[in-house]
Amino acid sequence: MRYVCLVPTGLLVLLIVGVLAGLFIHLSLSQALVTLASAETCFALRLTLLTSGAATIIAVLLGVPAGHFLARQTFKGKILIDTLIDLPMTMTPLVAGVGLLFLLGNDAVRHSLDCLGIELLFTPWGAVLAQVLIVAPIMTRTSRAAFTAMDSRYEQAAQTLGLKPGQVFLRVSLPMARPVILSGVVLCWARAVGEFGATLMVAGATRFRTETLPIAVYLNISSGELGIALVCAWLLIMTGFLVLLAMRWIGTPISTDQSLLSIGP
Amino acid sequence: MKIRALLLLAVGMAFFFGAGFFQPAAAEELHIFVGAGLRQPVDHLVKAFEGQTGHRVFIDYGGSGHLLARIKASGKGDLFVPGALFYIEKLEKEGKIRSYRSIVQHTPVIGVNTAQAGRLTTFDDLAKPGIRLAMGDPKAMAFGRTAMAICEKSGQKKAILKNVTVYGATVKQLALYVSQGAVDAAIIGRSDAFQNREKITIVPIPPDYFQAEIIAAAVLQSASNPDLAGQLADYLSTKKAGAVFQKYGFLPLQK
Repeated sequence: MRYVCLVPTGLLVLLIVGVLAGLFIHLSLSQALVTLASAETCFALRLTLLTSGAATIIAVLLGVPAGHFLARQTFKGKILIDTLIDLPMTMTPLVAGVGLLFLLGNDAVRHSLDCLGIELLFTPWGAVLAQVLIVAPIMTRTSRAAFTAMDSRYEQAAQTLGLKPGQVFLRVSLPMARPVILSGVVLCWARAVGEFGATLMVAGATRFRTETLPIAVYLNISSGELGIALVCAWLLIMTGFLVLLAMRWIGTPISTDQSLLSIGP
Repeated sequence: MKIRALLLLAVGMAFFFGAGFFQPAAAEELHIFVGAGLRQPVDHLVKAFEGQTGHRVFIDYGGSGHLLARIKASGKGDLFVPGALFYIEKLEKEGKIRSYRSIVQHTPVIGVNTAQAGRLTTFDDLAKPGIRLAMGDPKAMAFGRTAMAICEKSGQKKAILKNVTVYGATVKQLALYVSQGAVDAAIIGRSDAFQNREKITIVPIPPDYFQAEIIAAAVLQSASNPDLAGQLADYLSTKKAGAVFQKYGFLPLQK
């Protein structure tokens, strides 16, 4: 069996290494260094980190309470709400982006946002909103799974010992669900960093304004500046690599908490 | 058990990798790269060409710059029909083009959201404060380059660019922004505005501000059957084909 599995594993590794090598061969080191220092690359990197960071924070603020709510409450139409929240995960981001564009371009919505002084369309905040739409469902799903897997008797015990529901959530439920939620945060952030389709539609492809790393890759491939495109691509790949490493790292030190999680009735 | 599993795997892999080699050798196949803005007429014409000749044509639509990068990177493909001659000339300099035929004009116009048509009636209105414009990225797409040259020529580049709220990567994206009212206007192709004529009003650009782009079909050096590719290029440049292009809002070549 070991040898049978070796072949597919080898093929998969070969494919991935081949893709990385292909991206690497076309990039000369001197050109990479010049491009890395260029204003466009720096801008794209900074904007990507800022928008994905903001999107992840908003996704956590929305997704964790939503996940807890769905895990603990039963109500009529729960299946429908549950499925609806999952829906953006199955949507092509481009479709989600066009939907957001239609929503924000709607006269009534636009006027009310204008009155509040909120500008979303074609601004970096538009990119944040697009990313939130894509990643908040992931956060909801992960935290829901975390809270569902947790034995609710701990919460009940805390409540009988006199903690208020808010305190139970913050001091018992959240710490116990932490490892899973943390890995959800990392996943969300990684997804937000690479988000392209929805961002392109809602924020546009304005250089030095809404140019995130994926948009920089697309723009520069289109304009034949393969150097910048490849450097940005490598920045994205490195981010992904670090994120995956971080997830494994998160997995180890809190394994004790995880064993706590797996205690069932 | 072990041997059976191995055998199964071997058969599976043989099917997986062998499929490509054992396709029935029927009619010839062409792979062509076409600018996204030309989709409607090219779809129409290629279908007719397939019906007439019995050959199969696979069409790859995308932004012209994007396609150019793919042609260069892959070294494959038979025919290239971009939104501007510029992209063909770029490949020609590298010796990657056998020949090309011009088809129609790709004329830039101002596409104005119909609800805003009262505010925007001439080119100069683009520079009025408070107008929201979308513009093509000048490096990434054909009409981005053209639009920038037009603004330059008009002498009002600074005022116009001040009104630009968003840059797009394809002309279809710009047309969507205009038709949805996310912006008031954009410089787009006449055909793009024409195909959305319920929602986009055409305002012409003064003719001395621009030279119309030319759409042409170029046979690539990498063509596996240059004669057949040439045959399709000829077909796309016939008068009959020109009429189909005009049906979708393109203008004929100037004699």
